Amino acid sequence: MKKKFGSKLFLGLLMLFFYLPIIYMMVFSFNGSKSLSKFTGFSLRWYEQMFANKSMIEAIYYTVVIAILATVISTVVGTLASIGLSKSRKVLKTYVEQVNNLPIMNPEIVTAIGLMLFFTTMKIEKGFMTLLLAHIAFCIPYVMLSVTPRLRRLDPNLADAAMDLGAKPSYALRRIIIPQLMPGIVAGALIAFTMSFDDFIISYFVSGNGIKNISILVYTMSKRINPSINALSTIIVVIITIVLVAVNLLSMKKAKTNKVAQRVGLVALASCVGLTIFGLQKLRSNSGGNFDPIDAYGCDTLNVFNTGEYIGEDTISKFEQKYNVHVNYSLFASNEEMYTKLLSGESYDVLVPSDYMIEQLLQEDRLQKINRKNITNFDNLSPLVKGLAYDPKNEYSIPYFWGSVGIMYDKTKVSQEDLEQDGYAILKNPKYKGRIFVYDSERDSFMIALKNLGYSMNTSNLNEINEAYEWLRGLRANDPVFVTDEVIDGMINGEKDIAVVYSGDATYIQMENPNMAYYEPKEGTNIWSDAMVVPKNSACPLLAETFIDFNLGEKIAYENSEYVGYTSSVQKVIDKLQAGEFEGLSSYIPRSGYDKDEIFNYNPKIRKVISELWVKVKAK
Amino acid sequence: MNNYKRLIQPYVLWISIFLVLPMLLIVLYAFTVGGNDVLTFNFTLDNFTRFFNDNVFIGVLIDSFRIALVTTILCIFIGYPAAYFISKMNVKSNAFFILLITLPMWINMLVRTYAWVGILSDNGVINNILSFFGLGQLHMIHTEFAIILGMVYNFLPFMILQIHASLTKMDTSLVEASADLGASKFETFKRVIFPLSLPGVISGITLVFLPATSSFFIQRLLGGGTILVGNLIENYFVTTGDWNFGSAISLIMAIIIMISMYLTNRLDKERGED
Repeated sequence: MKKKFGSKLFLGLLMLFFYLPIIYMMVFSFNGSKSLSKFTGFSLRWYEQMFANKSMIEAIYYTVVIAILATVISTVVGTLASIGLSKSRKVLKTYVEQVNNLPIMNPEIVTAIGLMLFFTTMKIEKGFMTLLLAHIAFCIPYVMLSVTPRLRRLDPNLADAAMDLGAKPSYALRRIIIPQLMPGIVAGALIAFTMSFDDFIISYFVSGNGIKNISILVYTMSKRINPSINALSTIIVVIITIVLVAVNLLSMKKAKTNKVAQRVGLVALASCVGLTIFGLQKLRSNSGGNFDPIDAYGCDTLNVFNTGEYIGEDTISKFEQKYNVHVNYSLFASNEEMYTKLLSGESYDVLVPSDYMIEQLLQEDRLQKINRKNITNFDNLSPLVKGLAYDPKNEYSIPYFWGSVGIMYDKTKVSQEDLEQDGYAILKNPKYKGRIFVYDSERDSFMIALKNLGYSMNTSNLNEINEAYEWLRGLRANDPVFVTDEVIDGMINGEKDIAVVYSGDATYIQMENPNMAYYEPKEGTNIWSDAMVVPKNSACPLLAETFIDFNLGEKIAYENSEYVGYTSSVQKVIDKLQAGEFEGLSSYIPRSGYDKDEIFNYNPKIRKVISELWVKVKAK
Repeated sequence: MNNYKRLIQPYVLWISIFLVLPMLLIVLYAFTVGGNDVLTFNFTLDNFTRFFNDNVFIGVLIDSFRIALVTTILCIFIGYPAAYFISKMNVKSNAFFILLITLPMWINMLVRTYAWVGILSDNGVINNILSFFGLGQLHMIHTEFAIILGMVYNFLPFMILQIHASLTKMDTSLVEASADLGASKFETFKRVIFPLSLPGVISGITLVFLPATSSFFIQRLLGGGTILVGNLIENYFVTTGDWNFGSAISLIMAIIIMISMYLTNRLDKERGED
């Protein structure tokens, strides 16, 4: 009796461990605010947002469609291949078995980059097909792995007998062999479906051009997590549970014969069919005005590539409605990632890179001129962002958001004096040991070190860069935590006292936590600006320009800026928000005209050096 | 049944293109320099000397394997008793528990991992409960503890399912025979049950150790910027754009993993011969 209690307690604790995050996620899907650690009240807003969020619906749709197709194809191919294999010569058998082991025994990331290199080398454009092919490629070995043991137990005389009695081989296959292999085939199909449904690493490297599954969406979103993903997961849990209960009730009669595999199989089938229908309907319910975009623009789909949470809540859907087009909206985590994706053969119509990246794209001749005639709102641009050095006449780029990099601090815990005195070196002040977030950006971290050492952030002097590297290594003594956009939630909740942040995030944080303040150190900072550009290979430049112009319109620009907290490029919007919503927040108007502030230049040699050194700063 | 032989031919072509060729490309990239326009064929060992001459990279490699090893050991110690207890239950609870363990795998890995951020953080659920009882604070997020917890959380189900499968497939008459011959319960476990379940443990180790070494988002979310080998690879492919060096790192990792898997399998065979 005692022993039984012990094992029950153990399993109970284990289940708690497994389900704690899931319960947590379900609870927070009903949270009133954006925070993922403070529950502020019950609300359904994330569910509403989820259904309104087109890229989420699309991600669900692609996840399910890819999973179903990959499962069906890999199950059929895998089963037939297994049957063929069991009759093949030894050499061939060994070859296939060894190769099949590659995706199973190799780390997933190796398979992923192998496939990425393959598609890039073959100049196959990444998208739905590459994603599907990759999924099929890694699913088949799993199917074969579960079919083969069944084959060994199969009596070969049965099929022979059938054929002796006049059955054609295909008939014997269908009526004799396949039915006997069924349990193995079902189990294999299930594994394939689960693998494909939940895959992240391989999909992340082989997809592109706006095609993304749930995992990729979550990964690019976790930069600034959006709780509607919790709503989605909650719905999945509920669907699975309902199907489970239903299956259980149905199978009551034949109680014991029921196998776990079959049960899970039904669950899989039912939930994916449900989700597909739901996704398809959502996708279809997207028709706006009644004019034909193909007539007007030559295309009806626009591929936009932007950073996460960097546009107004409804901007995309408003644009789609107004022009009756479809926007493929994809997210990147950094300028460098965006650049790599471009290199590996993806095409977009509108990109939103930063200053130095625009300079690079221009030098490499990857951008096309923007037809000013189509940018009717050009005069709305603030003089502060017009004609910057990287594109003096704004021939190729139209500014979108801009700002500075600075220090966010908790007024109740950090003394203003320390801040004035230390400048960036406050990150090294032992008084604040363990109380610091450092933004995980190689450029801005080196900017901080170089500025504190009194150098230009655009230096190409390797000695100065090495000094900055040592300065950053020295930072480790103060136990900083390197974060990206988790810094927002972290500072709102007051988890640390000091953080390196972008001015726009500072504005957003201060709106939620009035204890926080923003400071631009006297050593100078990076005054950056992000702009919209049209790549050379855009299939739809006219629509791209229309999109850019749309975002410069006063009303849309206001909604964008108000939602994300970053400083608009439209002067009237700056004035309006400064006097209204963001009154008194210094971070909304970055410092201008200070001689120690700089704009980043493009320097390919230094870029690689800094990138490698930054990895070394973060490694132990 | 020889009629079915030709069924394999298209598949041989398929794997040669989609599984073998990509691996060859990684090897090609790893032994060349000259950026992303391949097929210039500048063969060199530079990428490897660069890696092995740098203490930081070696340190990252050691850290990754150490964390993966700790994760795997923890999974065995938690997963084995769990699988054992479950396999001892009646058919219905058996199926029920296996279902409970597979269910979370249907929810996106990243979403589940992200939930841990809110649970472990300084103002998170656990610390709120602790401070409610006046027990002070535990700093957990952004530590190695958090990374290992995240990995155990994500990969433990694989271990349990593998061991469970080998335990339920076991011939129970052997266990009964051992008991009939007077072996104590512990001895039966040690000499009959455990050796027979070893193949399950071995495949469990594979399914945990592999993803644990190459993971890159668990440490990103829970480790506060900790760099492990998966992040190195991601960094060189995605951020720096140095695919040659990134391929070399992947190759080094893959080879070390293959060697350790080979040794693990040997261990299994040697034990079997005792």
